[in-house]
Amino acid sequence: MSIDWVAFIAEGIKMATPLVFAALAALITRQAGMFNMGIEGMILCSALGAVVFAHYGNSVWIGLLGAIVIGLVTGMIIAFSSLTGKTDLYLTCIAFNLMATGGTVFVMYLLTGEKSTTSGAFRAYAVPTIDIPLIKDIPVLGRIISGQSLLTYLAVLSVFLVWFLLKKTRIGLRIRAVGENPKAAESVGISVPKIGYISFAFCGVFAGLSGAFLSMSWVQFFMKNMANGRGYIGLSAQNMANGEPVGSALAALLFGFTDSLSITLKNQTKFPTEFLNMIPYLATIFAIIITSMIAINKKRKIEKGMAKGKEKA
Amino acid sequence: MNKTQKIESVMEVVRILVGLLIAYGVALLTLLLISDEPGFIIQQFIIGPFSSARRIGSIVNLAIPFTICGLSMCFMYAVNKFNLIGEGIFMFSACMVTLVSVNMANMNLPSVVMVPLMYIVAILTGVVFAFIPAIMDRKFNANVVVVSLMLNSVIAYLATWVMRYLMLDSTIAYLGSKEIPESVQLPSILGSFRIQSGLIVAIICVVLVSLLFYKTTFGWKMRIVGANPRFATAVGMSALGVSFAAQLAGGAFAGIAGATEMMCNYTRFQWTVTTQHGFDGLLVAVLAKKNPVLVPIGALFLAYIRIGADVVNTSGDIPTEFVTVIQGIIILLVAAESFLSGTKNKLIFKAAEKEEKEKQAKAAA
Repeated sequence: MSIDWVAFIAEGIKMATPLVFAALAALITRQAGMFNMGIEGMILCSALGAVVFAHYGNSVWIGLLGAIVIGLVTGMIIAFSSLTGKTDLYLTCIAFNLMATGGTVFVMYLLTGEKSTTSGAFRAYAVPTIDIPLIKDIPVLGRIISGQSLLTYLAVLSVFLVWFLLKKTRIGLRIRAVGENPKAAESVGISVPKIGYISFAFCGVFAGLSGAFLSMSWVQFFMKNMANGRGYIGLSAQNMANGEPVGSALAALLFGFTDSLSITLKNQTKFPTEFLNMIPYLATIFAIIITSMIAINKKRKIEKGMAKGKEKA
Repeated sequence: MNKTQKIESVMEVVRILVGLLIAYGVALLTLLLISDEPGFIIQQFIIGPFSSARRIGSIVNLAIPFTICGLSMCFMYAVNKFNLIGEGIFMFSACMVTLVSVNMANMNLPSVVMVPLMYIVAILTGVVFAFIPAIMDRKFNANVVVVSLMLNSVIAYLATWVMRYLMLDSTIAYLGSKEIPESVQLPSILGSFRIQSGLIVAIICVVLVSLLFYKTTFGWKMRIVGANPRFATAVGMSALGVSFAAQLAGGAFAGIAGATEMMCNYTRFQWTVTTQHGFDGLLVAVLAKKNPVLVPIGALFLAYIRIGADVVNTSGDIPTEFVTVIQGIIILLVAAESFLSGTKNKLIFKAAEKEEKEKQAKAAA
């Protein structure tokens, strides 16, 4: 059994793209103090939005824009329900994801008469891939770094943009202030709900890009439930890195490789596919256990240190 | 009960009813907009479910798993843990019941032995799978929602594998398990309504859970932990322990629901994806405001709109998926604290003002 490892790595980077966007979307709301599980549904809606806008606008760019708009709109729906309607955020997100699963199938059926995929009815649009001159001629590296989707490069860029946004701008500082201590932020005149809406808007943009990648780059059509837990995996990725942009992206990359491992083994071995399909989800569960254990150990150490400090005093 | 409490409980009912009405209105509006013959379709959606004894029977039959799943989610929701593992347990419990009963088929045991045994299998399955996210929540403080959702995906693949490799019937043209023995196929009752005997199971479950919630210390503890975990810890309860136990109990009921559905409704296990019953259970628990006594009402309502959607689907080619959107709207409206809170506060204020005036009048007299 020989496995094409270069293809495996290239595939891993490709599959990490939607996860990186999802993790960025999740970490912006997390920095504002909200655990937003609705990303799963937002990605799903954006993926459908991308295909629909591209088809009726006759352009892949209109599709991309459409995906971002849908991401923004769905983000606002969750924000409205949770911040203005004061519904429990978990419940809002579970309800929203439920609506997204059924709603996307419903809209797809109204527009195409199909219930599982738009591949027959809608023209295929793909975000272009980019060959980087010079690098593409380097033997192994060229196959990995060059020739990826434009969105993959955008994802890398976005990681640094988000880092800049959070650490170097006024709005980023305010988002972090609200997340750290909403009451303190309010006392210095920051409107907590307003910052919440703003962070949901940023979250919507990245969820939109994640959805667009799924339906215009990974494949060129929308299919039922195509997000398939990627929103939750992105959420776990940012959780692993405590909401730090670069760390979250690296965690997302790791999950991208588990996805790629499952795909590679499926194509090249005869292992039962059911178990291979479980890999990304099991990896997420283990990652959650490990990060939680580390966090608890850290807390214990701090508590021990405090106890020692008291003894000395 | 003082006046404020009275107004609060009345407004709670009003809120739920208004929420349901709005969602129902949205459903009708959707049908009106997308249908070619809206009058007929809307009529079908509203009264279609009652048009024959068989359809009324199917509302009740559909409400059976909704009720038991709703009870299961009541446990999770009561301690404020949105552990959604019930979705996976429902599927896997049906799978395990099939596996065990198929393997015991040649022992020819009577129903009296087999059916209780199947329920034991189902409860064990439920407890074992609910244990995973619950222990992770307790020991590592891991997010129970994400863990349970990821685990649901794993369970769906695991159940498919069990079906394909351990109990596949290769003589049939579609993907399905071997047929379960007749001793575990539960019969229908009540003649032309064709109501399943699962109804009895559901009724027993509702009574049991209601007693547990309102007549035992454990039920009382659960409600305290859900309402205010800090207070619970402060008075010496183990909030973590109580919510852990509640999640296991919830898992057990999800298992019972899956087994009941399997034995009443199917002769072969043939699911390859989860069935949404866990999420339906959440909706029912939200509608019932975590009160197990009200769970059957929520379940019947959900079953009614589901059958309505089915009728519309067959007579007018409208996809049934629009019901999930309606379901989401209901959860959002019923769970939204600020929905109609202005009206509630006004009423309480008015009542207080009136009381004050009466007091003054008395004092003056």
